[in-house]
Amino acid sequence: MDEKITEQAAKENYRQEPKVGVYVCHCGGNISDVIDVKKVAEALSKYPGVVVAREYAFMCSSNGQDLITEDIKKLGVNRTVVAACSPSLHELTFRGVLQRAGVNPYLHEHVNIREQASWVHKLDKAGATAKAIKLAQAGVEKVLRKDALNAIRVAAEQRVAVIGGGAAGMRAALSAAGKGLEAVIIEKGPRLGGKLLELGKLYPSGEDGAEVVKKLENLVLAEKKISVHVGAEIDFVSGFVGNFKINFKKPDGRSEQVKAGAIVMATGYEHYKPHKGEFGYGEDANVLTLPEFVSLMKKLPGGRLEYGGREIKSLALIHCVGSRQVEGVHKPQADGKVNDYCSRVCCTAAVHTANQIKEKFPGVRLYDVYRDIRTYGMKHEEYYEKASKDGVLFFRHTETDQPAVTSDRTGHTIKVKDVLTWGEELEFKADLIVLVTGMMPSDISLIKSQLKLPSSADRFLQEVHLKLRPVELANAGLFIAGAAQYPMDSTEAMASAGTAAAKAGILLAEPDIPLEPFVAVVDEAKCTGCGLCPAECSYDGALMMAEKNGKKVAVVNPALCKGCGACAAVCPTRAINVAGWTLDQFDAMVEAIAKE
Amino acid sequence: MAQKKILIITTNHSSYPGADAVGQARMAYSANTYIIRVPDPVMFPEDFYLRAYEKGIAGIIIMSSGSDCPYEGAYERLSKRVARVYEKMKAKGIAVNRLKLTTICTVCRAAFLKEISEMEKAVAAI
Repeated sequence: MDEKITEQAAKENYRQEPKVGVYVCHCGGNISDVIDVKKVAEALSKYPGVVVAREYAFMCSSNGQDLITEDIKKLGVNRTVVAACSPSLHELTFRGVLQRAGVNPYLHEHVNIREQASWVHKLDKAGATAKAIKLAQAGVEKVLRKDALNAIRVAAEQRVAVIGGGAAGMRAALSAAGKGLEAVIIEKGPRLGGKLLELGKLYPSGEDGAEVVKKLENLVLAEKKISVHVGAEIDFVSGFVGNFKINFKKPDGRSEQVKAGAIVMATGYEHYKPHKGEFGYGEDANVLTLPEFVSLMKKLPGGRLEYGGREIKSLALIHCVGSRQVEGVHKPQADGKVNDYCSRVCCTAAVHTANQIKEKFPGVRLYDVYRDIRTYGMKHEEYYEKASKDGVLFFRHTETDQPAVTSDRTGHTIKVKDVLTWGEELEFKADLIVLVTGMMPSDISLIKSQLKLPSSADRFLQEVHLKLRPVELANAGLFIAGAAQYPMDSTEAMASAGTAAAKAGILLAEPDIPLEPFVAVVDEAKCTGCGLCPAECSYDGALMMAEKNGKKVAVVNPALCKGCGACAAVCPTRAINVAGWTLDQFDAMVEAIAKE
Repeated sequence: MAQKKILIITTNHSSYPGADAVGQARMAYSANTYIIRVPDPVMFPEDFYLRAYEKGIAGIIIMSSGSDCPYEGAYERLSKRVARVYEKMKAKGIAVNRLKLTTICTVCRAAFLKEISEMEKAVAAI
């Protein structure tokens, strides 16, 4: 927040009588389908200190924000409570509204009635509404006791660390460098490129995966702002926004540390590895995964498809291996859960491969066994149509009636209860079976535990909000690029990497970044100089006793104070508090919640 | 009958995002739960809890960041303080199971629900 504006605003606010505006968001039904938002606004409009209470479809929209601005201008609102989604999403949005309207941005209180009310109390609408009213009233009590504050600015490393040197990592580093930032790629593999190196012809361009890697690698190596570490094994990651430290071991065993203001997680994915015996995998030689088959196909000249010294005249692709698994039907992973998510890209990859087989080895009979065809991308449906027209035979099964494979000397027999022929049991023979395997997140458990990174139920890294903050992790200064987030193809991975780099660029656009001003402050008039509080402080030099104006008082060094509030708990006169989080505020909030 | 309200004290770094994660997963719990967030619960003196009971709060769950706490020494101080609160609760005849100090991380959804369920049982007995 701009200090010049807030200082002026602070002076203005102190002169004004508190006038609270309360704004209740419908979140397009996310809240209002459960909580009676009109009732909440009506109850709050009568609450002491509130001059206006409104409800609106989307408070975060420009129209919603304009409502607040108008009330600030016309009604003299100088403190706001917005009852909406989690503050992690929009607290800053509404602080910005206040700041632009000339009100200190810290005179805002964000009340969470979505993640912590409407989404968890769907079956108790009356209870959720009553709770929302109480939470908003507690918010009013808190904001009435808030002081105008100014952000603390901390120096930030003007450098982005990119963990992972695949397509997404290289793209993120190039984009960051294009914005004038230094970028450091830390890759555990022996070279840049990641999984893209394994791929054959990519859709839609037809370029070879390795060629794309070469192009990106040349750009990366030519860029002076980018440094690259390959064969780097990360052993410790620590720090906070603006000041992260990444320690890793180099291939020669030496340790190195990279300091960075932001981190882009471009840690990619692993192919699902079928367990032994899954459709004959690992037991019968002629059962491969799609990535294994793509590697094989790259090496073979056209005309005759050979594997293991034998000509392959027929080939069956089986979809959804390791994806969209069903509990009780499929074997769970090490964590006890099945992979119930769709890996998204495999359907297109399968039919794209089928078309390449038809082109390169026209004599091969092709069978495609699927549950649903989900060729979701731009023009990807055309690959499916082409495969159909070129004679690929499709068989469709349900989630519970999985296809079965039996093998003998004559080859593989695939049995399918086919939905397309109204449940007829069909069987056919194939010389080679290709399992269309899905994606699983890379094992980044060490980094996840050290930085406390959130992951979704499918174990991939989880963004704050898929639409509103799609590449940000909940941890400030951390961004996601590529398939570390969810299964995606290289086109999508590169797009997300560019977005992640742009976000990091915005964060590090200035040499120092604003941090919340929530450090301990002392009311010298109340301080009796008892000396109890410094003993509670764990940070050397952050809090000490000193003579000021002929009086012994507690003095805080805001640069060293971390704002934990341990000091506040022991002050007998409440002279010391964490700015923005005072005990008086919490007492009043509890009073409001407890009141019948 | 008046609702038996449960106050849940969460931390900005850990348990508040944990509570959000429960919502994002649409996992249900009862609506008599009121979540407040703080940098760290170590800021509350012993009498804060006692006053909350006097005001009518039935149960309090302190969801700290535990060993993940970003503040040096704060969790140890908090544990000792809560032990003193228990002593004061006993002296006042307040059942000690109406206060629970626990640790909830940003993704501890099941543990979050378990703590609420246990406190529900504790306050039901009041």
